[in-house]
Amino acid sequence: MAQTGTVMTFPGSESTSEEAQLLTRLRFIEDDRAGYYAVQIFLSGLRASNRKPHFINIAAKTFDNLLNNFDVTLFKMDNADLVLLCKDVPVEEIDPAMHKARQLFGEDPLTDSEDGSFEDRFSTWYDLVQQGDYSAFLENITTLSEEAIERQRRQNELLSPNALPGERMQPKDLAAITLRLQTVEIDDLIHEQAAAVVRPGAKGEILFREQYVAMRELQKRVAPKVNLFGSNWLFQYLTETIDRRLLNSLARQDFEIMTDHISINLNISTVLGREFQHFHQNVGAHSSKVVVELQLIDVFADMSAYADARDMLQENGYRVLIDGLNPLSLQFFDPALLEADLVKINWGQEFENEDSKTRVNDMRQVVLNVGADNVILGRVDSEGAVIWALSLGVSRFQGFYIDTIVDAMLAKGII
Amino acid sequence: MADTEGAKKHIPSQENLLLAYMQRLESQKGEHKAVHLHLSDLKPYNRREHHLRAAENSFENLIKTLNGQLFLVKNSDMFFFFKNEAQAQAETVIQKVRFLFGDDPLLEDEHEGENLFSTWYDTGEDFQELLHLIEGLIELEEKRKKDTRARMDTRAALKIRQREGEPFTPEILSRVETALERADLSNLMRRQFVCSIDAQMIPEQSFSEMFISIADLRETMIPGINLMSNRWLFQHLTETLDRRMLSLLSKNDAQSISGDISFNANVTTLLSSGFQDFDDNITASRRGSMIIELQKVDIFADLGAYLFAREFVQEKGYRVCLDGLTHKTMDMVDRERLGADMAKLVWHSDMVDGGPDMHEKIRGMVKRANPAKVILCRVDTREAVDFGHSVGIKMFQGHFVENLISEDGRRRELLRLKRRMERAEEGPEFSEEYD
Repeated sequence: MAQTGTVMTFPGSESTSEEAQLLTRLRFIEDDRAGYYAVQIFLSGLRASNRKPHFINIAAKTFDNLLNNFDVTLFKMDNADLVLLCKDVPVEEIDPAMHKARQLFGEDPLTDSEDGSFEDRFSTWYDLVQQGDYSAFLENITTLSEEAIERQRRQNELLSPNALPGERMQPKDLAAITLRLQTVEIDDLIHEQAAAVVRPGAKGEILFREQYVAMRELQKRVAPKVNLFGSNWLFQYLTETIDRRLLNSLARQDFEIMTDHISINLNISTVLGREFQHFHQNVGAHSSKVVVELQLIDVFADMSAYADARDMLQENGYRVLIDGLNPLSLQFFDPALLEADLVKINWGQEFENEDSKTRVNDMRQVVLNVGADNVILGRVDSEGAVIWALSLGVSRFQGFYIDTIVDAMLAKGII
Repeated sequence: MADTEGAKKHIPSQENLLLAYMQRLESQKGEHKAVHLHLSDLKPYNRREHHLRAAENSFENLIKTLNGQLFLVKNSDMFFFFKNEAQAQAETVIQKVRFLFGDDPLLEDEHEGENLFSTWYDTGEDFQELLHLIEGLIELEEKRKKDTRARMDTRAALKIRQREGEPFTPEILSRVETALERADLSNLMRRQFVCSIDAQMIPEQSFSEMFISIADLRETMIPGINLMSNRWLFQHLTETLDRRMLSLLSKNDAQSISGDISFNANVTTLLSSGFQDFDDNITASRRGSMIIELQKVDIFADLGAYLFAREFVQEKGYRVCLDGLTHKTMDMVDRERLGADMAKLVWHSDMVDGGPDMHEKIRGMVKRANPAKVILCRVDTREAVDFGHSVGIKMFQGHFVENLISEDGRRRELLRLKRRMERAEEGPEFSEEYD
């Protein structure tokens, strides 16, 4: 009792993965299954953003009480599913803990259906006394075990000597990295990605080309052993220096002859600083060719500074874009209130199966409030995302998938 | 996408034109009437450029026939002046414009006989009132421009640096965080009460916030450094302070702190093993008396993580308070939707100085957030409490509240002394017994 994954193994069985442990246990009880049942909780079906290991661990902790007081063993599957193996435990004892675990993911589509209903995708129960249930469960776990081994193998491949070790960035690294950022060659790391209007059967149109510094390559150059994204706040600090380098580099362009419009990601403090004034002198009367992208987190950090920056930019002819939104944040916040010119919503795979009516309606309302022509769906990597957005009236896109479409359109001359 | 408004910036502002127009009208007061359209109170999505242009066009006829003059000011409000003879036409036009915005909550929420959309003035009787209003608008616009300039001005930055200290750098952050890991911070721990305050200014304690004094931390560890000069570095520092706070709160003497308490935490802290250890070490009943304060910037940095953490701590019995809301951000953050138990609004004198429109806006925000769940914090004057009361807020926190508490303590002490003296006069046999 009171254990997470039994340590019982057959002689010769060296594998200690939780899947293997569970399989061992199942074979052990095969001949006398009286009182046994299992509950599988499909946390693998959560959105990627909710499937993080520390979330899963916290969810697993909700069963601590059960483990301590009953004959229950918890197995954490490699795909994030949890399995409870129970013997002679009253079913109603399981319910409160299940309910708690479910509550934790209340915002996730996985828990949309009613607890225990036919379409409930959160959990499945197996009465192991029944031969049919037992076989099905055994087969299920065997598959999970094979998948886990395969996943492990692929991960080991990725961790080949060429991959970046990438330790979490610490304050002590920051000073050195900032110093290197000030002088490192950066021009060749500036890439661009187009945002474009895409409508079925119609001619495309380039809205602007975002100019950005490729972080992966930059990391290789300034700190190959440190993961620049390791800390949200420290990364934000680094972007202040990156902004200045980017602005200086772009200021050398001739805005007079520039045909496509551009966009640049900047901190609000950068927009209100000296480098931007310098940049503005070079842009001159062509400021309408420049979109300035500001991050939502930066906006929320100091709303007054944001309002100043926005007004200053707009008065000088620039357009302001709010970046860093995703379909989830739209449920809690109406970006129209920020009175920017454009809003970029970043697509994530977890929204592919977005079928909840309220969430789709929230999106629709946001598109209405901001104006469909002012919404850009970013990080579009599949056709699915485009179809989803078109159904909401959004026809402005950016992302890898759009890059290929834009290339194709350019080749055919329909852009 | 078109190149618009390139030349706009050199034209004198509409506010200044409006003022000049008023000055010209002064000699012919009473010949004109004016109407102020409160378009700034409409939802932003209802006052985009094409909406405003449509509204503007409605006045075209009256302007062409020289019967009226229209001004569109920076906050998108409109002022229309017309000759007395054109009253009927003007009313028709305003009705038409009103119709354009008919489905905005401003008009939908109007009560019978109420007019939130427009205010009418007679340039004879109401000349001074109108002039003040316009001067106020100009002042606001000037102030806004000055603020922006100040931010961009190196001289101003230099001044701040001389007053507030040297900038915060990664080296200093690294040094402070290393020192913090082993320093005893118990003498830097402070406590400040959140109180409900009645009309007689008598405070009643609701809970107290425990925090590490940043000012004292700076004095003892890194004098002369302005920790606030870089937001992101400071935010990182708070993660270290969170860990230290949790360990201070786990100590025995902290467990005995009376009443409900609150403390600050980052979302990442709540999801860390440090918090799990803290939680394992306190009794279940203690959780119910603890309130965790979270910053809005932290919440919006990763909403998914916030929602998960909130569910996790609330399920255990802790309450959650949104911290750092201002009069500029509170209406963007829906306390109930975010599932927070309460919200803190930071006091700023602009809240009073903003005039009736601002007061109404704040009253509305407080109402939506539920007045019983809103705390006005950083209250350092009586004016703040009076203002809070006027918009429905009941709970307060800040230096002024601390003063009220000690004053109240002195008052109670005096009252006790007085009673004791009275009883002593009544008869010596009962003396002392009741104390």
